Amino acid sequence: MHALLTSLMPLRLAVFIECVIVGVCLLLMYAVIAVVMIFMERKVCAAFQCRLGPVRVGFWGLLQVPADVLKMLTKEIITIRRSDRFLYNLAPYIVILASVLAFACLPVNKGLEVLDFNVGVFFLMAASSIGVVGILLAGWSSNNKYSLIGAMRSGAQMISYELSIGLSILTIIVLTDTMQFSEIVARQADGWFLFKGHVPALVAFVIYLIAGNAEVNRGPFDLPEAESELTAGYHTEYSGMHFGLFYVAEFVNLFIVAGVAATIFLGGWMPLHIAGWEGFNTVMDYIPGFVWFFGKAFFVVGLLMWIKWTFPRLRIDQILTLEWKYLVPIGLANLLLMVIVVVFKLHF
Amino acid sequence: MWKEKRSMNSNLIDKITAWEPRAVWTEGGDGMFTVPADGFHDLAGRLLSEGFDFLRSLTGMDWGEAGFGVVYHLEATATGENVVLRTLTEEREHPVLPSVCDLWKAAELNEREVFDYFGVRFLNHPDMRRLFLRDDWVGYPLRKDYDPAQNPLRMSNEVSKDSSPTYELQSDGSYIRKRNVLFEEDEYVINIGPQHPATHGVLRFRVSLEGEIIKKLDPHCGYIHRGIEKMCEELTYPQTLALTDRLDYLGATQNRHALCMCIEKGLGVEVSERVQYIRTIMDELQRIDSHLLFFACLCMDMGALTAFFYGFRDREKVLDILEQTTGGRLIQTYNTIGGVQADIHPDFVRKTKEFIAYMRPKLREYHEVFTGNVIAQERLKGTGVLTREDAISFGATGGTGRAAGWACDVRKRHPYAVYGKVDFEEVLFTEGDCFARYMVRMKEIEQSMNIIEQLIDNIPEGEYQLKMKPVIRIPEGSYYAAVEGSRGEFGVFLESRGDKSPYRMKFRSTGLPLVACLETIARGTKIADLIAIGGTLDYVVPDIDR
Amino acid sequence: MSNYIKGLFHGVGTLMTGMKVTLKEFFTPKVTEQYPDNRATLKMYDRFCGELTMPHDAEGRNKCIACGLCQSNCPNGTIRLTTETVTDPETGRTKKRLVRYEYDLGSCMFCHLCVNVCPTGAIRFAPTFEHAVYTREKLVKQLNKQ
Repeated sequence: MHALLTSLMPLRLAVFIECVIVGVCLLLMYAVIAVVMIFMERKVCAAFQCRLGPVRVGFWGLLQVPADVLKMLTKEIITIRRSDRFLYNLAPYIVILASVLAFACLPVNKGLEVLDFNVGVFFLMAASSIGVVGILLAGWSSNNKYSLIGAMRSGAQMISYELSIGLSILTIIVLTDTMQFSEIVARQADGWFLFKGHVPALVAFVIYLIAGNAEVNRGPFDLPEAESELTAGYHTEYSGMHFGLFYVAEFVNLFIVAGVAATIFLGGWMPLHIAGWEGFNTVMDYIPGFVWFFGKAFFVVGLLMWIKWTFPRLRIDQILTLEWKYLVPIGLANLLLMVIVVVFKLHF
Repeated sequence: MWKEKRSMNSNLIDKITAWEPRAVWTEGGDGMFTVPADGFHDLAGRLLSEGFDFLRSLTGMDWGEAGFGVVYHLEATATGENVVLRTLTEEREHPVLPSVCDLWKAAELNEREVFDYFGVRFLNHPDMRRLFLRDDWVGYPLRKDYDPAQNPLRMSNEVSKDSSPTYELQSDGSYIRKRNVLFEEDEYVINIGPQHPATHGVLRFRVSLEGEIIKKLDPHCGYIHRGIEKMCEELTYPQTLALTDRLDYLGATQNRHALCMCIEKGLGVEVSERVQYIRTIMDELQRIDSHLLFFACLCMDMGALTAFFYGFRDREKVLDILEQTTGGRLIQTYNTIGGVQADIHPDFVRKTKEFIAYMRPKLREYHEVFTGNVIAQERLKGTGVLTREDAISFGATGGTGRAAGWACDVRKRHPYAVYGKVDFEEVLFTEGDCFARYMVRMKEIEQSMNIIEQLIDNIPEGEYQLKMKPVIRIPEGSYYAAVEGSRGEFGVFLESRGDKSPYRMKFRSTGLPLVACLETIARGTKIADLIAIGGTLDYVVPDIDR
Repeated sequence: MSNYIKGLFHGVGTLMTGMKVTLKEFFTPKVTEQYPDNRATLKMYDRFCGELTMPHDAEGRNKCIACGLCQSNCPNGTIRLTTETVTDPETGRTKKRLVRYEYDLGSCMFCHLCVNVCPTGAIRFAPTFEHAVYTREKLVKQLNKQ
């Protein structure tokens, strides 16, 4: 396609058009994933709660979420008196921007990734942590006491848990000695890191799931929007599509967390291979890579939803205790263990 | 049973007349002492030091010519002795009475209620604001000469004040008004409620925060105040019954049971054995219903939405049983004066047994999904501790009191219906924290099922409704009857002048003491703990506001 | 240190127990009643109080004798009777007769006093429950057929 475009127009324009096309595709995929995630959340949570979930709009309730999106788009965006107008309007876009940037890093299939640096992991973490700024701004600018408490909680929580995420990813990077996502996936061709790195990788995986769950503010770590305490936390005052942006970003962030978990622990788009089972391996190879990726990512999403819909919410001091007294020390010890494993070549 | 108590009282009557010679004992119903206002506080202090540490009920009264007064129902928790006192002032323009809130903390909100209804100011009460009505309300609605036309529907906002008035007696006999500051200018005060996901109705708290920590809490009641006590004064006795279901809507049958008992006591009517059994079973089913809802709502408050649905799913089964017999799910209108509305449904016994068999394993499931959960344990254990002394002083009965180690179950203290015959355990804990309050209720579900199992197969034959006179008049006097409601002692105080409607009807709210003690418990905890404390106190707002 | 580790494993254990319960629930049949799709099969208990009704026999007669007891017993003024006095042409005795029996469902408390007091059993509660209307006036119903 690149050749076709360059034959028709100057190089710069071609690159520009390509960028636009990629951007549009990315946003499209972003939106589709958000819709799928919301639908999945509603159905899964209903099943845990002895309910059916949406069944009325469309077959099996399939059109419920598109209908909700339409409703959200047509709703009025209410501006709050005596709020900081500029920051108030800016905040949801910062959150969504961080989310889209992080989303762009995910390698969906072989060669199918938008951003692929040699420091891809680093970039992803940097980009995703912009989101906390948006949340803080939202809480501050709403001129609402609930929102402010929610924002403060979210600040304390997200910044703390970034540490654990970093540590658990670092553990895997020790094993791979690369930070490029495509490389990380490529090195799992002969076995996923979860199996290759055995004990330390498994511990890192669990820590990553807990910290990732906290990072996207989902139950049992949903303190910033703790419904029964702070009504809706930092987005109490948002309405219409501004609220919709927070909502979408939350779900796609969940997907990103799951996607990263799938990429660095579960082999990304690599099919499942079991050494010695040649027939099995060839069958697995026929399944396209993106199916593998989405399958793994949604498996992790399902796991996180199962957790969310089982546990009560933690309290702010307990969240910080969990992070600083449990996850960080364990993560550090685990990192050390992984270094030992790598140095003495104890991995598979 | 009632006669026995009066003979016990005669000993006490001598004692009290010795302490305060001006105290006059009057018969009529339960009988009570009349104590002059200037000597009342001393006598009350004396009684407290003699062991009367539980102020069961405090009722404001308008005796017309005789003036305004207050009726106090006291109980000694150690001996189970009861005494009823009243004090009054003839002054109708600016009535003033001594406050007893320094003796019993329960008096604090109750005296505010009396001020709200009758305009009686209590000396040395730290917070003489209205409790239920708006601050700009004109007049005092439960006075017999009150004119409702003074208070049209107001469309303006009510501004909440940051200070409260208090009245102190001067040496020359006059009293001065002082101001108590509730919240300073620069405090971070947030409103929780009246519209809030975790207040279980329209209760409002103003909470002063320091970061996440609660420095002070000021409850505002009255958002669902309907003036039920005032309405009762204009209704005939059978008509008043319909209103009790609307008080604590999770204890509809129990509330109505209390009122029926009170009226039957006044009439001297003894209901049949069959009715007693049916009422007991219904009360216990209602208790299970209420406790299941408690479990569900607590889980929801703590963020465990799935467990919320489990509680509601199983509560539905209780409601089905109740609905089949009574025709109502929340508002059951089942007990009547001298009986019950209808005989139990033919399927009732079978369905109740099926439910109990179904419920036992479900309870284990609850414990697995929520009780044992490390997050729930961490959040509930050690938070919101209410000591036994405070529980008694506030009159915080029910699960809250029993979690603090106070054996306050009316079913054991003053057995009514067939509770004297059944074998059940009064669940007691000593910690007084949220977890104990939670466990008391979970264990009580089991006890309630035990009670039902003992009774369900032995319901005796008999009438389900006694023949009553078409117009019911209760002999002159005052009567008090109490049942163990789903969340504490629910009492009815009735003063009759022999008319077909009551002269004064007071409902001892189960929830008001719980709100009163909230400040003590919640101070210094985190905002998330407040939600857990509110959830485990398990108040129902229409019962507080009445 | 051993407490720390024991606490950790105990905590994780309790969390897993909870997850086991919810997972089991995930695969059990759901309890949702799909109203209004299940209208045909949905049966209320016959004692359920939906609204007050006055049953009429095949000839369209009811048992009401217009005594007004239900009206005077109602705590809310929910029931309003309009009566007329007619003279029986054969016996010459005057008799009250019911013209309109108005019942305001919007203010009914379902206290049962009217049904209990009725000497002829002319009124009773029916288990209907679909009462939604657009205005309050529509909740005022005339129970007797003319």
